[in-house]
Amino acid sequence: MRFIDWLDERLEIRKLIKVSLTDYKVPKNINFLWSFGMLLVLTFAILFISGLFLLMYYKPDAKLAFDSVNKTIIMDVSYGWLFRHVHAVAASIVFLLMFIHIGRGIYYGSYKSPREIVWITGYILFILFAATAFTGYLLPWGQMSYWAAQTITTLFEKIPFIGPQLVIWLRGDYAVSDPTLTRFFALHVTLLPVLIMIVMGIHLYSVRIVGSNNEDGKPIDKKKEGVPFWPVFMSKEFFVMSVFLLFFFYLVFFKFDFAMDRVNFEPANPLQTPTHIYPEWYFLAFYEVLRGFFFSQNLGLIAFALSMVMILFLPWLDKSPTVSGKNRPLFQIAFWIFVIDVLVLTILGKLPPTGLYAWVGFFAALVFFGFFISLPIIARIEKKQLEGDKK
Amino acid sequence: MSEKKVSRRDFLLYAIGGWAAVGAGATLYAMYKTWEPLPEVKAAGIVEFDLATVKPGEVKVIEWRKKPVFILHRTPEMKEDCTKRTIKTSSGEYTVVIGICTHLGCIPNWEPENNIWHCPCHGGKYNACGINIFGPPPKPLYIPPFKLEGTKIVLGEEGPEYKQMVSG
Amino acid sequence: MIKELKILFAIVVIVLIGYYGIEDLAHHEMYGNIPKPDFNYLDLQYDIKEKGNPQNGENLFKQNCLSCHSLKVKNLKAMMDENTAMHAFNVVPPDLSNRANIVEEHFLFNFIKNPQNATKNPKFAMPPQPQLTDKQITDIVSFLKTVAKKDIQGEEIIEDACTRCHNIKYQKIEAHTNPENLKKYLGKIPPDLSLKGKSRDKEYLVAFINNPQTVLPGTSMPRLGLTKESTEKVVNYLEHIADPHKEERNKIGMWVLIYMLIGVILTYSWKKKIWKSLK
Repeated sequence: MRFIDWLDERLEIRKLIKVSLTDYKVPKNINFLWSFGMLLVLTFAILFISGLFLLMYYKPDAKLAFDSVNKTIIMDVSYGWLFRHVHAVAASIVFLLMFIHIGRGIYYGSYKSPREIVWITGYILFILFAATAFTGYLLPWGQMSYWAAQTITTLFEKIPFIGPQLVIWLRGDYAVSDPTLTRFFALHVTLLPVLIMIVMGIHLYSVRIVGSNNEDGKPIDKKKEGVPFWPVFMSKEFFVMSVFLLFFFYLVFFKFDFAMDRVNFEPANPLQTPTHIYPEWYFLAFYEVLRGFFFSQNLGLIAFALSMVMILFLPWLDKSPTVSGKNRPLFQIAFWIFVIDVLVLTILGKLPPTGLYAWVGFFAALVFFGFFISLPIIARIEKKQLEGDKK
Repeated sequence: MSEKKVSRRDFLLYAIGGWAAVGAGATLYAMYKTWEPLPEVKAAGIVEFDLATVKPGEVKVIEWRKKPVFILHRTPEMKEDCTKRTIKTSSGEYTVVIGICTHLGCIPNWEPENNIWHCPCHGGKYNACGINIFGPPPKPLYIPPFKLEGTKIVLGEEGPEYKQMVSG
Repeated sequence: MIKELKILFAIVVIVLIGYYGIEDLAHHEMYGNIPKPDFNYLDLQYDIKEKGNPQNGENLFKQNCLSCHSLKVKNLKAMMDENTAMHAFNVVPPDLSNRANIVEEHFLFNFIKNPQNATKNPKFAMPPQPQLTDKQITDIVSFLKTVAKKDIQGEEIIEDACTRCHNIKYQKIEAHTNPENLKKYLGKIPPDLSLKGKSRDKEYLVAFINNPQTVLPGTSMPRLGLTKESTEKVVNYLEHIADPHKEERNKIGMWVLIYMLIGVILTYSWKKKIWKSLK
């Protein structure tokens, strides 16, 4: 008996391959943007493996952390620098991939019924990745690590009644210090990656159930219009992956600065704030929403919290019967304004919030919410048009 | 499987497989290299010690590669014939051995009244040359690789005296 | 195909605008105003007017400088040992063997005349030397110039100019002066230099070494008057020790990119083959 038959008898391996790969049909009219899910899985794997090798030399102790990263790992361990660079660049790039993945979902209406669970699990993954990135950023214990953690945890202080106590509880001290480092470390290397893997599993499973959306947003007759995931779609996927990896390794070897800020090569100093502090680029848009309401701190905080959750409610904000944005001229306008707005917010997030920048920031923050408010209105207009056409 | 059956699609798939294997191999090599001892560990693998600081009849224990090394400055009362295990410098004759019992790895103690090393675990005994003279140890105590520089001994490097000792 | 390229183009444009905005534009806004270095030290007023006499300079050196400074190239020991000097001045006085080739000549002349003014540091440890005439200072400078080594390496310059106050932990170099004395002298312990070549860019380091007060007003670091060449050597050395794997990285990087390019070609041809058979 062949080994595959032996396995098949015990695990129904053939059926599994059939269901998940060869018989799993995806629409033919999907472009390379639909490969970004697999790219994200790939990048997560890269993060996991490179992180594992960093973990072997990293020391989660406020006295040792900085040197263990910058001396032991980067200078002494053979190829330690490679794993460090790969991890840092992948942690940054995973957000670029996620933003494109989400952007594609919004443009082609992939959040709409029946794909709400896909959308919700995707949103949870985004939050989990953000938490992982935030906890991981503290670990090198450089100036930027330290002050990012210090300022972001301070945000919780503004929560009514429990705020001040909550912040001390989060940090385990009156300021960010060794206990904060060790608990962030624990979350970063165990709980958060495990949660990511579980939610990722549900996310992929739910896509297998409801099927991929496509450019036209119309459900396909899988027997006639679908192509098998393996080998047809995977052949394209491999191509996209190798192009991505070419770009990724170019960044790792020759352009890693964007993911490893210079300031973070200064050891953390609780008594001296760097002249400029800013979050990593993927948090800048949300950070700018916070700063945009420069005249009121409380309003800024509420806006910040809202900006992080708004996207979760897309399936219920946009009830238009037309799925794909490709066939929705009004929605397209709103979408591109939104994309440009996020870009503007991101850039402003790193510029000093003074003078003109402050006002542009305020305006851009309003536009950010404007997009979500416009969705039900656009949907209503489109419904009326459709009814009009029928008559 | 005849050669004709290998269509272009298959050939390409094999090529991609081979290409991926090269990448995986390179990655595994980098992973393998990360487990090598760090430079500071390697540097600690070579220890210098001045034999002249050991008084006649005295045993000094130094650490070399996480193991104890016994350095005994022999006196004329120690009558054993140690010609093949002697390290001779201008300051005297020495026994330099790794202080780990060849039986089960315990650390023997020096008994100055008998001029022997006595292993506390199973009673093995070694004379002042480090040669097993009683009990379960199957072999004499090992001599670490060394190099002589005047009265200084460098542990971890193989000098001519060591090579001669090993071959003789 | 064309449509996919259009999508790719849109993404690339958005990413590039974002990258430019976040990296170049914002960094320029935040760190852009680094003053230009002046390696001629033109703000210092006294000029060297004549040629110095090295023989004379040697005698003058022995009479005036040797009380604190040694001169190893001539086997001259300072009268005060390092420890005594450290407790008197809170900093170890430097050996002057190679000084004159590290420090710009015009600066050195002004420095001997008035160290506090030249270094722009009112607390600078060396006292002014009013007993010396301009001619005598010129002689000392020319003497120091004749003994100084010509082709001096970045590492040696660092040893000479920086590590009396700065640690370079990752190179196992400790400051010659005790931390407590440094704290008394400068108000705080000067930062470690192990990673400065990474935490600061080249332009900043050059400008800062050239004239600390213009870059970081109020800093206790004195202006040391390094020549352009010495400054560049120092900065290159700092960059090298902060990023020792740069060459290896670039080399491996090229190979990895070539390897990935082969992958792109292979996967593309396979994809084309499979999708062709669909139609």
